[in-house]
Amino acid sequence: MFLRMIRGAFARQWKKMLVIALTIMLGTSLATAMINVMLDVGDKVNQELKTYGANITVLPKSASVMSDLYEMEDAGAETGSYLLESEIGNIKTIFWAFNIVDFAPFIDTDVTMESGSDVKITGTWFNHHLDLPTGESLDAGVNSLRSWWDIDEGEWIDEQLLSENEAAAMVGTVLAKREGIKAGDTIHVKGSAGEADLNVRGIFDAGGDEDEQIYAPLDVVQALSDTDGYISSIEVSALTTPDNELAEKAAKDPGSLTIAQYELWYCTAYVSSICYQIQEAITDSAAAPVRQVAESEGAIMDKTELLMVLITILSLIGSALGITNLVTASVMERSGEIGLFKAIGATDWTISGLFLTEILLTGLVGAVAGYFVGFGFAQIIGHTVFSSSIEMKPFVIPIVAVLMLGVTLLGSIPAIRMLLHLDPAEVLHGR
Amino acid sequence: MSLLELKGISKIYGDLKALDNINLSVDNGEWVAIMGPSGSGKSTMMNIIGCMDKPSLGEVLLDGVDISKESAKNLTEIRRDKIGLIFQQFHLVNYLTAVENVMVAQYYHSLPDEKEALEALDRVGLLERAKHLPSQLSGGEQQRVCIARALINHPEIILADEPTGNLDEANENIVLDLFKQLHEEHTTLIVVTHDPEVAEVAQRTITLDHGRIKSDKINEMFGKS
Repeated sequence: MFLRMIRGAFARQWKKMLVIALTIMLGTSLATAMINVMLDVGDKVNQELKTYGANITVLPKSASVMSDLYEMEDAGAETGSYLLESEIGNIKTIFWAFNIVDFAPFIDTDVTMESGSDVKITGTWFNHHLDLPTGESLDAGVNSLRSWWDIDEGEWIDEQLLSENEAAAMVGTVLAKREGIKAGDTIHVKGSAGEADLNVRGIFDAGGDEDEQIYAPLDVVQALSDTDGYISSIEVSALTTPDNELAEKAAKDPGSLTIAQYELWYCTAYVSSICYQIQEAITDSAAAPVRQVAESEGAIMDKTELLMVLITILSLIGSALGITNLVTASVMERSGEIGLFKAIGATDWTISGLFLTEILLTGLVGAVAGYFVGFGFAQIIGHTVFSSSIEMKPFVIPIVAVLMLGVTLLGSIPAIRMLLHLDPAEVLHGR
Repeated sequence: MSLLELKGISKIYGDLKALDNINLSVDNGEWVAIMGPSGSGKSTMMNIIGCMDKPSLGEVLLDGVDISKESAKNLTEIRRDKIGLIFQQFHLVNYLTAVENVMVAQYYHSLPDEKEALEALDRVGLLERAKHLPSQLSGGEQQRVCIARALINHPEIILADEPTGNLDEANENIVLDLFKQLHEEHTTLIVVTHDPEVAEVAQRTITLDHGRIKSDKINEMFGKS
């Protein structure tokens, strides 16, 4: 009989049930989309942020101390301490190698131009091809690490197209204007250990101090400053997990961690953990996060997640309010029926059970439909915002199911309370 | 022996006395009509006898048990086991068929039995309409479904509130004939009505006015027509 009553209620009140199911579907779809995007957004946002530059700087250990003490920008050259160029590739052999998106070594020196002015020239990799001992090969350098630079004239240097003794360079836009340099020109520079004619491949606008400098391949600058085989710093772009208390504690002193904490920290892609592993891979190096970038990334991540949590909560509250209105309206409309059931001997709980079963079955239909609609929403968000699909995590299903069960039950409470307080004498005799 | 006894019953709403010191006794198998103008206290008395309301003062003894002191839970059980209700507005569940409407009363009483429910509909002449929805039945037919639902659990007392109020003469006669049959089977009937013709066919007529019993008469013509 119970099933007949449920079936009858569904068959003859399907429009009302459909509206309730649609309300639940909307809440479920938003919750599903937001939770899935939230769980996937970490990597997506991280990848987006990595296009804006490096988040780790590697310096010689002694230079790092000087840099920390005196805030020196070029502590490597000032202190005469260097890193070994031959060890750069070790960065891609650490535990978190796959999280290393890009990196580039740097060395700089002052040179004198034909006009007599002294300028800084920085040696680096542009798109340097690297064959690793692991068998992996890759291209790394500023072409992708500083992809936001505008090339006003010419193009990026392609190291793989340079002939053996060709010395190319890129000139900052401020310097180019001052010296009247154009792409295609050849400029003569004189360093402390040699001279070179540089073919200007491009004029770049970095929006910073770099605009007054010359960038050239690493070996060119090493020859000008007699530092063959050495570099003064490495900038690394790595995918990281936002810091937490454990990461902060480890960043201060990894030795203070317990073995379990150490393993957890070491095997999580915290920026401090990656820095630690880079230091292990490169002799006498000190790797440090570029705090501003790392903290901005963490803040953006936190805020993005908070926004999604708020959207999820608001959508659930909206659903609960919708359910409250619809179910309360349904109870009011069916007050005669409820009064009759009470009058013929139904207990409050059997009537509540009947209504809750109807609502939960309706909710189940709405939630299943909402999950798939939410899947679609998540993909739309993924493709619109991150240009990639959002991975649907199976464990979101029970989370959403529990949330919607809670919302449906919570939304039904006012209606059930009304139902329990309904006086059969009043509704049956219209008193 | 009295099945129902009302001893000094009053129902007071603020300054208004809907019922004022009512004393009444109804014997087992008796057919009583309660008459009176609007506001005389008929429905209030019906609700108290039907365990849907409690008196402010006095005792209501149903089968020897004082129901005026019972909890809401116990009143639900008493209502379910001992009372069959018939309403002027029928109060059928619109999404259930006629037989399902009868079975609902069985479901909340004990176990639904479709065969028994169909027999109850047959008794009120509606076996062919068993699978119809209330919207597909006439007013008279709906009231007969309501009577079948009231009878299905074999209650000790049938309470009917204006049972013919929404019916034409032909259907009114059908319903009154059914009441006669029930009376002959020693079912106790209490019928609230403002229709003198309905009251006339009852064994006894009690007239209420301003919450008090104005008259309590035995119908001398009862059983002679």
